[in-house]
Amino acid sequence: MRDNEDRRARFEATTLPLMTALYNVATRLTGSAEDAADVVQDTYLRAYRTFDNFRPGTNARAWLFTILYSVAINRQQRTRRDANNVSFDDVEERFQQYLEADESDESEFGRFELNSPEIDTALRDLPEAFRTAILLVDVQELSYEDAAAVAGCPVGTLRSRLFRGRRLLFTALHDYARRTGYLKTGDG
Amino acid sequence: MSVDASHPGEDLDRLLDGRLEPDRALAVQAHVADCPRCRRELDAIRQARTVVRERLREQPVPPSLRAGVMDALDRADREGARHAAPRRRRLQRLSMGLGLAAAAVLLFLLGRVLGRDDFVRAAARDLADVRTAALPLEFVTADVAELERAFARAQLPFAARVFDFGMMGYALAGGRVHRIEGRTSALFAYRTDDGRTVVCQMYEGVITELPPPAEQHERNGIRFHVYREGSLTLVFWQEGRTLCVLSSDGPADEAIELAYAKAVRVD
Repeated sequence: MRDNEDRRARFEATTLPLMTALYNVATRLTGSAEDAADVVQDTYLRAYRTFDNFRPGTNARAWLFTILYSVAINRQQRTRRDANNVSFDDVEERFQQYLEADESDESEFGRFELNSPEIDTALRDLPEAFRTAILLVDVQELSYEDAAAVAGCPVGTLRSRLFRGRRLLFTALHDYARRTGYLKTGDG
Repeated sequence: MSVDASHPGEDLDRLLDGRLEPDRALAVQAHVADCPRCRRELDAIRQARTVVRERLREQPVPPSLRAGVMDALDRADREGARHAAPRRRRLQRLSMGLGLAAAAVLLFLLGRVLGRDDFVRAAARDLADVRTAALPLEFVTADVAELERAFARAQLPFAARVFDFGMMGYALAGGRVHRIEGRTSALFAYRTDDGRTVVCQMYEGVITELPPPAEQHERNGIRFHVYREGSLTLVFWQEGRTLCVLSSDGPADEAIELAYAKAVRVD
């Protein structure tokens, strides 16, 4: 009995501090607070059942994200919610145009000052694999290696997804900022 | 996305993330200095990384989710013929904590007005100073036992107990004999791979000296006073005649759970 209580206490001490991070990634993977809560709860249950396989001292964050990603992707496939079959060729083309734009065109350059809802929308519109790479590396600050393990892909693939994801995200945010006047150029 | 082989391409991302070998980093930096296109590309991906890292709002965990997780774990325990902590007691603790929180916020604000929050502000200041290395660690070690021995040699007026947060991803960075509001303290600091810092201090004191907390929780018979100073979270609790404080620049929930994990009841 005592062993089971200890196991439960160790599990809670290891995993509960990470619930906020898990919930935030789940929210952005599923696009819904309700689905995210289900994914997180399922993640905890699976983690608890396999806790004996977890080696103390290893990265609990990466371990939990791996379970969470697997749960979220399985649900997504079940509910066929991944609508990432649109072409991003035109977005990528716009990024190339941005890189090659005339430096004297001030309307093109500047820093965008956007808030969370606009960033969330742009993230949601990214293909799932690119969104995951950004969430894990840029938001959760996992190493390339841990993020690749979570996403179940080679490190090179993860880097490639991050490469494309960041450029697509920038283009989407830049387009939006320019359209809505949130692109601050010069000193303004 | 096509990449011109004459430009660094993906290595710009690795440069941004600090993941290039020093020689390659220098070569890419030299290229960027001479290439307006790559400067623009590096700036673009830096902006993309900065907005998601700094401006994406953190969604708080709904209380119902936390309760649901505990419920699911209890069920798993029961299914496995394991002992389950009574669910009702957890809910009572949760609702009591939430009920007290609103009143505590008001009292906390009052406490600030009356200027009684010196220990809280001092602990927050110490965390900021450790983070910037303005407060150097006298004993640099990742070994909990070694740091405890160092504190013992310093003949503090209390027995310092250094926490092991390794399993939670916080590596011990070291510690120092310190002074908090004129009292001797044992200060020890932790860091995560992703740059978060936790600073703990133990000193002789009583919890009633503190201002009313923003939140008050109770677990295993121990009362935890939670304060917020800007983006920092500070959790105080009593262990015998020693007062412990855990200060964190990470998520508040995480700080509270760390304190729960290491607090010891001393009657």
